[in-house]
Amino acid sequence: MRVPAPAAPRLASVTSETLIRNGLAARLAVLLAALGLWQGLSASGLLTPDLFPSMTSTLAALWHELTGAVLWAAVRDTLAAWAAGLLIGGGCAIVIGSLLGLSAFAYRSAIPVIEFFKTIPVIAILPIALLLFGATLKMKFVLVAFGVFWPLAIQVIYGVRSIDPVSLDTAAVLQVRGLRRFLVVVLPSAAPFIATGLRVSAAVALILDVVAELIGGGSGVGLQILTAENSGPTAYPIMYSYILVAGLLGVVLAGGFALAERRVLHWHESQRSQA
Amino acid sequence: MIMRQWLARPARALTGLWLFAVLAAAWWVTSAGSTSPFFPPLETILRRLYQLWFAGSAKQQLASSLAHFALGYAIAAVAGIGIGALLWSLRRVREATSPFVYFLYVLPTPVLVPAIMTIFGIGFAMKVVIIAFAAVWPTLLNTLDGMNGVDPVKLDSARVLGLSGPAMVRSVVLPAAGPQIVAGLRNSLQVSIILMVVSEIVASTGGIGYFILTAQQNFSFVDMWTGIIVLALIGTVLNLAFVLAEHWVLHWHYGARATEGKR
Amino acid sequence: MSRVSRSQPPGRSGAAAGGTPAAGAPVVSLHSVRKAYRAGGSAERVALGEVTFDVGRGEFVCVVGPSGAGKTTLLRCMAGLAAPTSGEARFEGAPLRRVPDQVGVVFQDYSRSLYPWLTVSRNVALPLKVRGVDRAARAARIEEVLRSVSLADVGRQYPWQLSGGMQQRVAIARALACHPELLLMDEPFASVDAQTRFELEDLILALREEFSVTVVFVTHDIDEAIYLADRIVVLSASPGTVTEIVDVALPRPRDQITSKGDERFARHREHIMSLVMSRSAAARAARRD
Repeated sequence: MRVPAPAAPRLASVTSETLIRNGLAARLAVLLAALGLWQGLSASGLLTPDLFPSMTSTLAALWHELTGAVLWAAVRDTLAAWAAGLLIGGGCAIVIGSLLGLSAFAYRSAIPVIEFFKTIPVIAILPIALLLFGATLKMKFVLVAFGVFWPLAIQVIYGVRSIDPVSLDTAAVLQVRGLRRFLVVVLPSAAPFIATGLRVSAAVALILDVVAELIGGGSGVGLQILTAENSGPTAYPIMYSYILVAGLLGVVLAGGFALAERRVLHWHESQRSQA
Repeated sequence: MIMRQWLARPARALTGLWLFAVLAAAWWVTSAGSTSPFFPPLETILRRLYQLWFAGSAKQQLASSLAHFALGYAIAAVAGIGIGALLWSLRRVREATSPFVYFLYVLPTPVLVPAIMTIFGIGFAMKVVIIAFAAVWPTLLNTLDGMNGVDPVKLDSARVLGLSGPAMVRSVVLPAAGPQIVAGLRNSLQVSIILMVVSEIVASTGGIGYFILTAQQNFSFVDMWTGIIVLALIGTVLNLAFVLAEHWVLHWHYGARATEGKR
Repeated sequence: MSRVSRSQPPGRSGAAAGGTPAAGAPVVSLHSVRKAYRAGGSAERVALGEVTFDVGRGEFVCVVGPSGAGKTTLLRCMAGLAAPTSGEARFEGAPLRRVPDQVGVVFQDYSRSLYPWLTVSRNVALPLKVRGVDRAARAARIEEVLRSVSLADVGRQYPWQLSGGMQQRVAIARALACHPELLLMDEPFASVDAQTRFELEDLILALREEFSVTVVFVTHDIDEAIYLADRIVVLSASPGTVTEIVDVALPRPRDQITSKGDERFARHREHIMSLVMSRSAAARAARRD
């Protein structure tokens, strides 16, 4: 192996592997100890229920919610906006990014503009989305799609531009041209970059999704948390159980992405050792 | 890197800027005769922006927002790198706590805003805590990941040279993990800005986020647009400052990469 | 442009045993091909001086020269991947505009030229698919060429799961899949170990017979060039021009031990070595003036 293909930039590509290795018993022990400490602090009066609910009451609330319909409706609403926003924003980014990547002039013109839009805090446009769509699913996914588009488009452009010239020469020699060249040669070359962008975007999408719920009042897990907070200390166990649910959503989505990435990019250097 | 290239070459710089000019002009022209209250003419917005944010008193909103941001982000950066390095050196602790760390990393942190509000009230401390607590994770995990990924040969050669302990961390591990730590710091920056605005909107009587939301609720859409533009500019300036700092700190990294590219 | 170049007439003596070019139009014909990057500007860099030679049908021509002589540039011009700045490159009489259908190319770096996301079979299938070969014929052809490079069983694997030598065999199989008239090879064995290299050299000689393909083979290894070639084009140091075209007087079939032990082999080596060394020395002297 002499010159390896350019590796995708590992922008914040914290894989679960770094964290989740062996030692399940030790982890369980630590988890149980933490839960015990939490309960102990509540029992001793150091944590009062108007500040922080006890472990048992939180888990009881979580169980109650898990067996009810409200939580699942909220999870569905949050996931729907997340998926729709990621799909639309991501789809646009891949198509537009690829087209811009075709010409040096086009991408040099577009990158500063995209970099600029990328740095705009997405919540800045939340008021506009609220104005146009109200506290609806549409408002949520428009916000998510907007937030996903810019960083991903940049990754797609860099991915398409950074294709190995030998790959293109090979395509020319094999007479691979046009759409086939794009699908068989260019897109797979850019895939590691796109995957990195998608992984980061998926996390950003979830954040924007709950922000749209917390601030914009769109229904979902974020709104449930805000409602519980407003109901006062008796509802705090519910608030914390929804926070746990939000974290679990993050775990599931991030894990799903890692899995999908390993499947799709099994041929890439970064994944080969794990095959 | 890209910015520097553009600045180096006037022709490139022009290629980089014409689209901005066209878009701004398009906004100006298409909004010029607008009677829609939602989308006022750009000219009106810019006049108002000058009145409010340069001549007027709205810039005080900015000062408090930026103070929250600066303190929260600084705490997150220092704590993220420090705790990350500590966890890296303590393998057992790292393995035992990893589920918690990972959980907090993937947790969409804005959901913590209401909870932190119940504990810290709605003052200065609450906002700094929210920003710091949310922004610490990307830096922490990237520090950990970057340090885990340091080439063992680099560590071995450092040991051969007689380095150990803090000297080793300072002169070998931190620089080698530098690019990824910086990537984490950049993510933390983004999170900080988001949380700065979110915390103000949810619980505040001041700050730029509060300004934008009240303007929208009071149907002062021109004011709202000025706030959005100012917020966009803040984001851009902070990111630009970050890129400059990054180049200053990581100049060796980009130097090496550029030579690789030329080969 | 180097003043010291002696341009050789394009005609050939035909003395080479077993590799005498057939009569008729040459497969490749280069006439004063010159390639400069950033041509006309102040930063102009001449990669290739004026190069003129022909390659006849069925011939095996090696191109040697010191590093920086523009060997790869020359090959890219012959493949139609790069257009000469001046002069003309023709393939079967027609000026080269793009890569002709009847040309196969093997690049030096197999880890970059083979697509890692495609299995070995799919890599080989790609040029066939482009040409609209149907599924059954494709499968037969893939089996044929993989068998020819002694890799019958690796079709389902990915290139990166194979050794370096095997990967380059896959690249050769892919280049031969469409039965090209001309096979261009750019230092194809520079990245493999010595033992594998000898095996691949013998493989390429066998394939040349099997597929009756014309081969242009770029290398910096003088021994390799003598062992393989009917004729050797010796390029001067940067910018490369043709120093001499050497007819290799070694009988075929060739053999790693007897051919390389032949006294004519040693004489060729000494002659070409002195050409390459003295030309680079002369070029250095010319630059000092």
